[in-house]
Amino acid sequence: MKLTEIIKKNRELGAQLNVDIYEIAIISNITITLLKEVLELNLREKGICAKVTVGNYDSIIQDSLRFSKFKAVLVFWEASNFIEGFQNKCYSMTSVEIDDLAERVEGEIELMLNNLKHTPLVLVNRFNSTIFCTDALKEGPLTILCRRLNLRLEQKVAPNQIIVDLEKVLLKVGHFAAVDLRQFQLSKALYSIEFFKTYAEAVLPAFMGATGRAKKILVLDCDNTLWGGILGEDGYDGIELSDFTNKGHAFYQVQTILKGLRKDGVLLALCSKNNQAEVEHVLNDHPNMILKNNDFVAKKVNWKDKATNLRELASELNISLDSFVFVDDSSFEVGLIKKELPQIMCIQVPQNLSEYPSVVRHIRQEFFNLFKTSEDDLKTEMYKQERMRKEHSNQFNSIDEYLTSLELKIKITWQPHIPIPRAAQLTQKTNQFNLTTKRYTEADIQRMLSDTSYSVATFSVEDNYGDYGVTGMAIIQLHKELPGTCVIDSFLMSCRIIGRNIEYFFFNELVRILSGIGIEKIIGLYKETAKNTQVSQFYDDLGFNLTSVIDGCKNYEISINDYKPKIIKYIGYVREVSDE
Amino acid sequence: MNNIKEKILYVMATVFEMEIINIQDDAAPGLVEAWDSLRHMTLIVSLEEEFGIRFTDDEMTDLLNLELIHKIVSSKLSTCNI
Repeated sequence: MKLTEIIKKNRELGAQLNVDIYEIAIISNITITLLKEVLELNLREKGICAKVTVGNYDSIIQDSLRFSKFKAVLVFWEASNFIEGFQNKCYSMTSVEIDDLAERVEGEIELMLNNLKHTPLVLVNRFNSTIFCTDALKEGPLTILCRRLNLRLEQKVAPNQIIVDLEKVLLKVGHFAAVDLRQFQLSKALYSIEFFKTYAEAVLPAFMGATGRAKKILVLDCDNTLWGGILGEDGYDGIELSDFTNKGHAFYQVQTILKGLRKDGVLLALCSKNNQAEVEHVLNDHPNMILKNNDFVAKKVNWKDKATNLRELASELNISLDSFVFVDDSSFEVGLIKKELPQIMCIQVPQNLSEYPSVVRHIRQEFFNLFKTSEDDLKTEMYKQERMRKEHSNQFNSIDEYLTSLELKIKITWQPHIPIPRAAQLTQKTNQFNLTTKRYTEADIQRMLSDTSYSVATFSVEDNYGDYGVTGMAIIQLHKELPGTCVIDSFLMSCRIIGRNIEYFFFNELVRILSGIGIEKIIGLYKETAKNTQVSQFYDDLGFNLTSVIDGCKNYEISINDYKPKIIKYIGYVREVSDE
Repeated sequence: MNNIKEKILYVMATVFEMEIINIQDDAAPGLVEAWDSLRHMTLIVSLEEEFGIRFTDDEMTDLLNLELIHKIVSSKLSTCNI
């Protein structure tokens, strides 16, 4: 897209920005203006109401402080501009001079990262010398310096701070096309528009992950997608799947890649028009299958249309359709899904099978996850248990009867013992059952734990079928002006455990604890988003009174004495440590 | 010839966020409010993409007003065609 088109389109989308603006700052020691429009458009097209502010020229430390409250900060720190003309000067500088400079920058790196430790998302470019040091045989001082600084960067980054490998972007654009030196001397603008377009694409997954938009599940066809050939025609012995044949190799490698995705928490499912028994035979017994039967969280092997199957998967697993990626070799099936379910990302197996593994490798970034936790590895298991529970639920007459049979147990943990990374991840990723959808980093949570006006509680749930892990939390803040009053800043639950009335049980417990520490009034908040309408009546149901609506946020209130707990008999309670 | 000027006006209007009819023939950085040094860079890149040309160092320093932009772009396009 040409820059004029980018500007025009960006302006159109900018006019529709709602109140929930996602503020991003770019801080740098070079001129970076062109990136603003390109990045804004990339994000706005994905539904993120991005507004980019470009910091002052060569003002990284001051700006890292000035913009630390923004949702995201991007750092463009060019080694060649550490001092005027450094890319050439460095060759004639003494090692002591370079050492001094390195120490100064190392100190500044720590300062900057520290200033940005509470910012939800920070992207810092890896220092690099590729543009000015093209000698393949001998490293220059700039390259050596960059390596030293990158080491410091890697040591000091917090989980919310991501290092961007600029080299990969430069490689993709080509190192001559990536720079435009005509404005470098006078305006200190180094990069070309082509570079910025590619850069914005490269960092997009981080923003998708940070705003809860990352994909969650990969749904695969079988014939000519997981293996070569058609099972129904070629038979169990006829399908192509082997590292040693030309055609079978691509599928074997693709399965190897998928296995790795599965290990990192990506859910895999099948959606295939086939005879179920034949597919099961391959999944269970085929010696060259890398993916085993239990790697799939769900299987839709039948003759129904695939749009229906995908809709069913979404409801059975409680995952919204825009978190789906669908892979199929047939242009008919891909076309159908694109038309029927445009929110699903579709990928067609390429004609040239040699390209297939790269296409699948490329999907990985769609699942970009800012915080990896131990729950990720267990995800497939948890979602599978969920399906078994659903099947089981059909055998009961009343929902209460069913819920009783599950023997649910909840364990509530109060600070300071809560699992901080998981708590941060829950605020980052929970969209549906989330009253305020406030996103917090690990550092934010940490800070709340050391602030006496905050109380944070998480809970984990288990039942007959297994352990759901830590799946819900609440953040409570004492009201600054009104003594005896507290505000429920966040109240959320993973969609895995929706529909069991656990929220009421948890809320009763919160009220009990708050009442015990002398709280008389509770203020509840509900902020509507595109995904959380199912909890829009939550406080109404609990008997709260709506008092005001401020910036689209509904404020509710209740006196503790008026609170009537909903009695949930079928949930057992495991008491945990608390510090109030 | 007119086509070239229309296209330049379109680019300028987009970059400077203004209506084409409000761009005077003597438009220049001092006279158009939005025409600062940063937008100038955006203007140059936009013109290059729009016309499929690349300005030389000397031309870059000469792109000081609408008339000069028109002249330089026209001459570049005519040499391209030869």
